[in-house]
Amino acid sequence: MARVFVVDDEPDMVDLLATILKSDGFQVDTDTDGRSALARLLADPPDLVLLDLMMPDLDGMELLKLLRLDAKGANVPVLVVSARSGHQDQLGTLQLGANAYICKPFSPRELVRQVRQLLETSEAETNA
Amino acid sequence: MERSARTYASLISEPLTYLVGFLGSSGKGLLDQQVAQLRELNDDVERLEIVDVRGKVVLRAEGNNVVLFGDGLESPVVEDRELLRAISGLEATAAQVTEADGSDAYRVVAPVVKQWGEHVYSLVGTFTYANVDRQLRSSLWLSALILAIGLGLTHWVSVTLAGGITRDVDRLRAGVIRIQQGRLEERVSIDSRDEIEELADAFNLMADELVATIRQLREANRELETLDQTKADLVANVSHELKTPLTALRGYLELMAEGGLGSISEESIRAVMVCRKNVERLSLRVEELVQLSRLDRFTSLDSAREEIDLKPILEGIIDTFRPRMEGGGVHFVLQMQPNLQSLEANPEQIERVFLNLLDNAVKFTPQGGTVLVFAETCDHERRHGVLVRIQDSGVGIPPTELIRIFDRFYQVDPSSRRRFGGMGLGLSLVRSIVEAHRGAVWAESEEGIGSTFFVWLPFGDFAHDVTNKGGPSVRLEEADGDRTAAREV
Repeated sequence: MARVFVVDDEPDMVDLLATILKSDGFQVDTDTDGRSALARLLADPPDLVLLDLMMPDLDGMELLKLLRLDAKGANVPVLVVSARSGHQDQLGTLQLGANAYICKPFSPRELVRQVRQLLETSEAETNA
Repeated sequence: MERSARTYASLISEPLTYLVGFLGSSGKGLLDQQVAQLRELNDDVERLEIVDVRGKVVLRAEGNNVVLFGDGLESPVVEDRELLRAISGLEATAAQVTEADGSDAYRVVAPVVKQWGEHVYSLVGTFTYANVDRQLRSSLWLSALILAIGLGLTHWVSVTLAGGITRDVDRLRAGVIRIQQGRLEERVSIDSRDEIEELADAFNLMADELVATIRQLREANRELETLDQTKADLVANVSHELKTPLTALRGYLELMAEGGLGSISEESIRAVMVCRKNVERLSLRVEELVQLSRLDRFTSLDSAREEIDLKPILEGIIDTFRPRMEGGGVHFVLQMQPNLQSLEANPEQIERVFLNLLDNAVKFTPQGGTVLVFAETCDHERRHGVLVRIQDSGVGIPPTELIRIFDRFYQVDPSSRRRFGGMGLGLSLVRSIVEAHRGAVWAESEEGIGSTFFVWLPFGDFAHDVTNKGGPSVRLEEADGDRTAAREV
């Protein structure tokens, strides 16, 4: 069972994402604070990270950068969840090392599709 | 000279004749003296002759030499017919003649007529122009001298003056060039106490003003930049603040509708569907506002353009609308010409265009109606591109309103705000985006039958551009792409 780590400062969003993923059979860890999330991610890297961009203190972009700098977090697939729909934002996040990008407001079906796709790609790479 | 010669001749003709007759050869010495005195009365006289009416010369006084003919000295006879006629005439005459040596002379013939009409002698006076020539020459000399001095003076004055002016003008020019080069703090110093100095003062004043204006503009620009950044941040925050709750709503509603949270009653499902529809509408409006604010900031420059295919975009949008259309009983047909060339466009913006147009089409098409979407190659203003037609069987738009529907905040019927929602931004956004892509958008409509919206977009490969205008503008957009990248919300 794949383990997904959800990082979002909005408890409702965390709740929604966790509900969607759990109902689809994923094991879900959550955190609403960037800093503690980063520490937990590096301590025990999950199979996939769902990351919100706009967070107080340590925002998604910074978290992503720090995660990628660490050997443990360098290869964890990251799906960015953001309200920013700008094309350049998407491109910027991908350049920082995100693997995919999903814009709010998204449908649960679309989220699950993207999560599965990312996990498959990641698995294929690990096996290769 | 001529007049004085004539007066002189008529004045002396009688006394001279009298002297000749009275003194004769016996008083030659006295005669010479008298003649000399008479001659002194006129500077121009060359020769004086007393001639009788038959042409015989009685006396000839030439220079200091006075010759009296008659006694043993044979008188020369005048042979010139014209002169003879003048001599025999009773009226004084004058004529211009040429002397034996070729010089010009003035000859006056003054008859000596006694009181009773006896006319025996005439005085022939020949006058030289030498004096006149001399005078003329000297006056010419004088004129030339004056002219030369005048010219010299003028030259000197102009060289001195103009030299000064040129120097000052050069200094002014150098000042202008310095300003032009951006050395705005430099001033021109001219102390010529004339218009040039005034000009220099005016120039310096202008430079001061320029510096002040530039400072003001810089400040204003800085303020605007801050404001622009504030606005960008605001838009980013607003979009985040609005979209996050919408995501939560949408997600839970979808989970409920699909039974992901356990079974619920039929009535609850209907209520959830209504909620979903409204959340979707709200999402559209929010995205619209975000897009519009972004377009306002970058106009045509917000263009991270890439090669895009219309087909997946249109299909994706139709998928989004499918639940709504099926719920509303609207039939949807998409027809695309196969192998359509790709566009060079901003995918989000193009998606927004068709999202808004299809949203309108679905919104205004009643139950059982049809929305048709056609896409095909079409030339527009001699450029190759694609024409997308979105045809609905809706309520239609009155002709008078048709030209205004693309205006911002415009709505055909104020009550449509209540009936159909929306802020009148959708179509203005469509137009802004299409025009930023150098495309065109227009509409045709018939009330009660439906409307057709046309969107024409140029093909991406600008080498195919018939007018070849594409080149520079494409480069421009690419260059600006980098700048917008850092500022995008």
